[in-house]
Amino acid sequence: MRRRRDTQISTAILVFVVLLLSLQLFLLAVAAEGFLAGESGLAWSATIISTFLALISVLLYRFLPRRD
Amino acid sequence: MTEGQPIWRRDFPYTTEGEEGVSRREFTRFLVAASVAVTGTGGIVSLWASLRTINTGGAHRIVTLDQVAVGGSYLFRYPTEDDPAILVRPDSETILGFSQKCTHLGCVVFWEPDEQHFECPCHEGLFDLSGEPIAGPPERPLGRIEVELRNDEIWALEADRETT
Repeated sequence: MRRRRDTQISTAILVFVVLLLSLQLFLLAVAAEGFLAGESGLAWSATIISTFLALISVLLYRFLPRRD
Repeated sequence: MTEGQPIWRRDFPYTTEGEEGVSRREFTRFLVAASVAVTGTGGIVSLWASLRTINTGGAHRIVTLDQVAVGGSYLFRYPTEDDPAILVRPDSETILGFSQKCTHLGCVVFWEPDEQHFECPCHEGLFDLSGEPIAGPPERPLGRIEVELRNDEIWALEADRETT
């Protein structure tokens, strides 16, 4: 029963991390667009949000059950 | 069925040499590492965008006014010899300068006098007389070049940061 719950938690975290990474890839494209347009402010904004998302990913990873 | 093994192993009881499974934890760790790498790449891009210097050019004589027909265009290079640019004279009172690089993938745009717009032949991107995209894949306007008339001569003064 516990193993089943751990698996569910692991899968949920995995899905969240995949979603966050997808958002980060979008933000990387925004940063590249800012670079091409000569707007470094846009690039920095995208990077700051991306950093925040990466921190959430790291935090989620720490909550991953050890068994799975 | 061996205890602790997944059900699919019963239906597919074959293994290959060197076969190894990837746990959710390992896969998540890989994704988190990718997440950090993407952030790092964004940081490098942002830093590069902040630190790079962009040549916006200086005052440069292009051509005499009588060499540009009303309704016509004139091609030149600005701010460097590697930057194609275009001058258009839609009417006798107006002279406009633009970078010739399409903001989609950098193809060279040309002036379509009958339609009064710029056209990129690569993907049929269209820009109006103010350089704004009106059709096709481009989403950003053409780089503007500030021009001035001095004693019947057309001079380029400065290019948008985006031009280069």
